[in-house]
Amino acid sequence: MSIAQTGPAVALPQRRRRRRGLSRDTMLGGGTIIAFILVWEAVYRLGLMPTWAFPSPWKVVLAFAELIEDGRLLENTGASVLRQLCGVVLAAVAGIPVGLVLGASSTIRAALLPLFRLIYPIPGIAWIPLAILWFGIGFKSTVFVIFFSGIWSVIFNTMTGVQTLSGQYTDVARVYGASRWLYTRRVLIPGSLPFIITGLRLTYGVGWRVIVGAEMISSITGLGFLIDDARWQLRPDVMICGMITIAMIGWVSENWFFDWVERRTVERWGMKTSNA
Amino acid sequence: MLRVEGLHKRYVTDEAEVTALTDIRLDIADGEFVSLLGPSGCGKSTLLKIMAGLIPASSGSMAIQGKEVRGPGPERAMVFQDYALFPWMTVLDNVGFGLEARGVGKAKRTGTAMELLHAVGLQEFAGRFPHHLSGGMKQRVSIARAFAVDPAILLMDEPFGALDAQTRQGLQDELLRIWTARRKTVVFVTHSIEEAIYLSDRIVVMTARPGRIKTIITLPEPRPRDMATSEMSARQREVRAVLGEEISRAAALEQADMMAAG
Ligand SMILES: Nc1ncnc2c1ncn2[C@@H]1O[C@H](COP(=O)(O)OP(=O)(O)OP(=O)(O)O)[C@@H](O)[C@H]1O
Ligand SMILES: [Mg+2]
Repeated sequence: MSIAQTGPAVALPQRRRRRRGLSRDTMLGGGTIIAFILVWEAVYRLGLMPTWAFPSPWKVVLAFAELIEDGRLLENTGASVLRQLCGVVLAAVAGIPVGLVLGASSTIRAALLPLFRLIYPIPGIAWIPLAILWFGIGFKSTVFVIFFSGIWSVIFNTMTGVQTLSGQYTDVARVYGASRWLYTRRVLIPGSLPFIITGLRLTYGVGWRVIVGAEMISSITGLGFLIDDARWQLRPDVMICGMITIAMIGWVSENWFFDWVERRTVERWGMKTSNA
Repeated sequence: MLRVEGLHKRYVTDEAEVTALTDIRLDIADGEFVSLLGPSGCGKSTLLKIMAGLIPASSGSMAIQGKEVRGPGPERAMVFQDYALFPWMTVLDNVGFGLEARGVGKAKRTGTAMELLHAVGLQEFAGRFPHHLSGGMKQRVSIARAFAVDPAILLMDEPFGALDAQTRQGLQDELLRIWTARRKTVVFVTHSIEEAIYLSDRIVVMTARPGRIKTIITLPEPRPRDMATSEMSARQREVRAVLGEEISRAAALEQADMMAAG
């Protein structure tokens, strides 16, 4: 884009240009995806990989049809999504208050942060064996692992949100004699919401990445199980179906759900500063 | 009456100790409009925050109607320079916030808030969020929020400092109109000599850091004041002369600070 073209900053042409730019980006992105599938097909046709381990795109489509028809896709997706939601909701319910308290009190920060910093780098997967010992195979242990690997980003982000909240809002609350509860509900939480949402986004992402590993080891349902089970049946096409489903659900929830929450809240309030 | 006696304020941080205020004594009558005028860094905001109860004084006392006060109280409200509106609340909820904090029910809150939005001409904007508003409109909302709790004392820290000249004049008149109708005690911090003269019953001129009260100028002229008259021009020269000394002293202090830091 040349600088010379930049005329007076009128809203309308600018918007039009942006929309055209967007569709160009969409075309570029879509084109790359199509090219990827074509390369995939080419590798298959040229026999560069053994066919029993490397299905064609079309075989994957057929496998999708099969999995949808016999209900396995829906059942396992449902199981994974349910665990994911439980884990993320638990992480939010526990993590937001902890983050608020940590942000508000330097004493509690000093007391808890060292421990948290120590536990935080342990990958979620490492908790799986212990989780199985504690909760057995299945729902509870998977939810525990999602919860435990995801809660940190909610905690740390909420804490940062509170710490960076303008002291002036606190001054206003104090001048008008707001109770601690009103202050938390009406000032602290909404004021930290941009950070809380970012934290939950990360929690969600971490959870969704961990869930597959967890289900491979400690479950007999779920998309992780579907993928792992396909190994025993020599069904790489089914594995790829599971992987694509994971990608789609991850993409949809990121782009729809959290963007929707942001549009309803921080964007509406003019508080969104950065673009993810 | 608001009485401040023997007030000192020292800020102690890890790196330095700053004496912001020394020996402030000041009586402000009920319904009086008093401006605090002084060079940058002389402690105007500090004094106002102590009056609001947001920070403690190092020593000295403050009393309202003869009763010593510490901390914020329902008889005081504050208007901040950068409005300090909550971006996540609608204009209506912002104006009603003080009432909400006081446990006033929703219906009553809405009624009072709407009445004040009418008073500042923003009733159409009740459902909007603050970021849709211009600076002048935001400050109107902030003023409405302060008046909504019907405080006896209104503390304003450079409320019009961030606004352009035109908007500023409009808001000065509006403030005077509401103040005349509701008769609050106003303590008004400003950098502008003209603004102080246009609005105040008395101007408290402060010295450069550490802030003391240098003089208090009483302005008996009736309102609305015509700033173009020779009488008001003389007033401006008078205040400018007193303040000018302090501003150059403050500048010298700042220079010294920068040399010391560098
Ligand atoms: N929280 C603080 N900690 C340490 N020093 C402070 C603090 N707040 C203010 N000061 C110092 O106290 C002095 C008075 O500050 P204050 O903000 O009250 O001045 P002011 O008159 O309002 O200035 P301005 O006109 O620039 O707003 C300044 O030297 C400032 O650096
Ligand atoms: Mg100030």
